[in-house]
This record gives sequence, structure tokens and C-alpha cells, in this order.
Amino acid sequence: MKVLGIETSCDETAASVVDDALHVHSSVIESSIDQHRAFGGVVPELAGRAHVATIGPVVRRALEEAGLDPHAPALDAIAVTSGPGLIGSLLVGLSAAKAYSLAWQIPFVGVNHLEGHLFAPLLEQPDLDWPVLTLLVSGGHSVLVLQSGPGEHEVLGETIDDAAGEAYDKVARWLGLGYPGGPEIDRLAREGTAGKLKLPMSMTGDDLDFSFSGLKTAVVRATEKNRDVALADVAASFQAAVAEQLMRKMRAALARYDVRGIALAGGVAANSRLREEIAALGHEFGVEVHVPTMAMCTDNAAMIAAAGLYRLRVSGPSSLALSARPNWPLVDVA
Amino acid sequence: MNIVAIETATSACAIGLRTSEREETRVLDLERRHTEVLTPGIAALLDECALTARDLDRVVIDVGPGLFTGLRVGVATAIGLAEGLGCDLVSVTSLELLARGAALAGERGTVLAAVDGRRGEVFVQTFALGDDEVTATTSPTVTTARKVVIEWATNARPVTFTGDGVERYLRDFAAVPTARVFDQHVPSLEAALALGATREPTTKVTPLYLREADAIANFTTRERS
Ligand SMILES: [Zn+2]
Repeated sequence: MKVLGIETSCDETAASVVDDALHVHSSVIESSIDQHRAFGGVVPELAGRAHVATIGPVVRRALEEAGLDPHAPALDAIAVTSGPGLIGSLLVGLSAAKAYSLAWQIPFVGVNHLEGHLFAPLLEQPDLDWPVLTLLVSGGHSVLVLQSGPGEHEVLGETIDDAAGEAYDKVARWLGLGYPGGPEIDRLAREGTAGKLKLPMSMTGDDLDFSFSGLKTAVVRATEKNRDVALADVAASFQAAVAEQLMRKMRAALARYDVRGIALAGGVAANSRLREEIAALGHEFGVEVHVPTMAMCTDNAAMIAAAGLYRLRVSGPSSLALSARPNWPLVDVA
Repeated sequence: MNIVAIETATSACAIGLRTSEREETRVLDLERRHTEVLTPGIAALLDECALTARDLDRVVIDVGPGLFTGLRVGVATAIGLAEGLGCDLVSVTSLELLARGAALAGERGTVLAAVDGRRGEVFVQTFALGDDEVTATTSPTVTTARKVVIEWATNARPVTFTGDGVERYLRDFAAVPTARVFDQHVPSLEAALALGATREPTTKVTPLYLREADAIANFTTRERS
């Protein structure tokens, strides 16, 4: 069984062919990020326009690279992100997916983008030992999830304000660094010393929720007061504070739930400090650590195809009348 | 030749199907539910005509100008169908469909087609409607009803206004003494099917936005802050 995955929830137009053994036959990603840099964030209208321009060629390349005839591919289904994300972006992928489904007379299924991220580790390690505690962190989301098996997930905690990646972007903008902020701060932080800028610990309660808005404000205040702290030290201090909160919540969850592995997912999983700390945490608790390759951190369609394969089996195909759900929370996925 | 036409430039979603034997058009929705109704509508219409998507030779798409979200749903659907089937894709505009729709109903002379662009603006273009042909006399542009009225109120030539942009600003447009209104909400599917049969196919379709994305970007940023 082969599935075509399509992903257009934010600024990446992606298509991929994956089979039911989770072997990735192709994975094509086009990003419009260069068009958004000047604005310091993804501009929905620009992203929507870019998706329209690239969706056809991206799907065609994914089919060709998988050795399939683009006009009559030997596919069994299509999986497409139908939420959450930017509505104008989601609609391009969803509309195209429905049209391909009608053209090829094969079923399609709408997939939750966050569930897609949760399937990413499986693509690199199909024989994963469950349960797994997954930290899903990106520009739009920060969620702590207990996965008892593929597609079986319980949200243990999530951000009450900004997503981790969003906080990176905001702090980077404050420091006059480029967009997106994650890679910029990460690069700079390696030359600095954490702790040179005193930042408060946040979210010290028992719950497993996150908060990054206060941290961003604290960076603004602290740098205004201490103007002589080097930029690299600010970056290192902020990055350490983010990682500290994330790891503290992971640690609290590990104390409460008996898991076999821990995993990172989402764009912020590319962060070097986070990758180091989660490896150390896994070692400390004696559990497997699943850190995705850089390519699997960013939004891609292989993970959507993988989640779609599961959803097709468990929930069946979607109706052609399916609409996009820009605010579809992971807890509502069934 | 079997042709399907897709129309999503206004708040309405409409489709047409032409085969060697028959021609059908359907307004599927008037309330901007393009995503929900478009593909199911095409599937149902194909069914009704005892065809499958594989039987299609051409997809005709209205690329606007019009409401951006609807346009993208229509254009992405047309791309998916044409790419998926490996069939021809023909691009038409909402304004020429309005002018040709008026011509098919017997209107002649100068026609100004106007599509509601929201934010107080309309997308307009003028055409000369003859007995045998429809010719554009201006380029499509974005403006306001008031500006159109000022221009036409002083030039004292007979003109026919048509499109949902006229409906939206009827009080303004009615102030032109030499003007008549041809009631037409949805760009003509009959015109789209006729054009689709004769016009040269394209390899790439792009919505006719007429507004710079940068302007939208600034607008959106302002709205958010
Ligand atoms: Zn993502």
C-alpha cells in the first residue's frame, strides 16, 4: 500500500510517497521562508500565494522521484494536512488533495498536523518501543504528549501562551537578529555563556504546562537594565532558560509515567541545546532517546503520509466535503 | 470534448460541464463554502452525466480577480484535476465571464464588469460587446465604486454595469444617469464553457490578485497588532 502525503499548513509546500512499511519513497519540500524574512514572521497571504504556485510541481516531483506516473500513479490513498495551520495555506493543499483524489479515484484522508509530527520518529525507527513521552515543540506549538502506541496519544501539557519557537522569534527580533529566530539564537548561544543574564524560572508548579511569554519579557527587561551583557551571552542565557523549563517538565512527566522512550519532534527539535539535554535526560532515566534527523524536524509530508496510513486504517477515509480546521487541537483527534 | 469549468471568484461557488451531448451548470453555494462544496459538486455532476473524471479533456478555471481564499480553492482544485489527469487547463477571468455572460443574454455596447473585492473596493474592467465578439477596452484594475461613478457620470455615454460589485454598491452605481444595470451575480459558466472549448490551454495558472501581497502583509500586520 502506497500513500501520497501533502502538507501546506504553514510556509512549506511538501509532498511525499510512503508505503505501509513506513518506507519513504520520496519527500519533496519547497519553503517560502525567504519571502517572509523581511516581515519577521510568516505572512499568511504570501504563504497562500506561494502554495498555489508550488503545489502542482511539488506533487509531480514527489510522484516522479517515487517512480510513479504523475497522471496515473499506482497509489492507494492520499493523506493531507487539514489542520491546524494557516487557513489560506491549508485550503490549497486540501483542495488539491481532493482534486487528485477525484482524478485518480482513490480515497483521501484529512490528517492533524501535530499527529503528523508524532509519527515522524516512526519513519526513522519503525520498531519503536512504547510508550514514548514526546516533546513536540515548533513555531506554532509546544505540547508534551504520552504516546502509548502509534496514534494513541494523551496530551499531558501544553503552552499556556506562546509556543517555544514563537518565543525564539520574538527574542531574536528584540535582539535585532534575523528571522526565523531559532537557528540565529542557537548559533549565537554557542559562543556565549548561559547565566550571564539572570532570568527567572517560570512555570514552577506541579502541572506539565509551559509558558514562554514571561521569559521573553524577562529578556527584554534584563537586557534593558544590563546593556553591557554580550549578545552571545543573552542568547545562551535565554536558550538555557527555555531548555531548563522544557526539561524540568519532561523530568516531572518521567517521574509520573512509566515509559520506554522519550522523543523530540517539531521545528525546535533542531535546537542543539535541546538535543543535547534530551540525550542526557534519556541516559539519566535509562530510556531510549529518539531525536529526529534535521530533515524530519521541519514540516514535511512523509510524516503526514505516515499518520494518514494509520488514520485510514483506524478511522477510514474522509468525505470530499471535509473542511479545513485551522485550530484543530491534538486532544480532539480521534 | 468533455469540459469542466470551475468558478470560485465571488462568494458563490459554481461549476459547469459540457459534453458532446449536453451542457449543465450548477451554482453549488452562495455563502463562501467553496472548500466543502466544490469537489463533491464536480463528482456529483460527472456522475449525473454518466462520466468519470478520467473522461475529462479540459479543466477551465476562473482565475479572478475576486476573493483570494475562494480563488485559491478553485485554482488549487483545477491544478489537482488537470495535473492528476494530465489534461488541458484553460484560464479565464471573472470580468470577461461577466461581460460575456451579458453578451449571451443579448446585451450590446459598452459593459463595465465589477467584482466585489471587499474592503470597500471593486475589481473592474470595461468591454465592447459586438454581435460577434467581446473585446476588452481597458485592463482589469482595482478601484472604488465612487471613482467609477465619478468617471462615468461625467462622460455621458451609455454603459451597462454588471457583476456582484454593482449589486454591492448599487446606490453608488445607480447615480450614473446614462447607465443600466444587468443583474448578474455569478460570472457566467456558459461563457466559461464556450471559452474553454476554443481558448489555447496554458501550462501554468496563477490567480489574478491585482493587489500586491506586500500591501496585504502590511494590512494584516496592522490588523494583528
Ligand atoms: Zn509543524
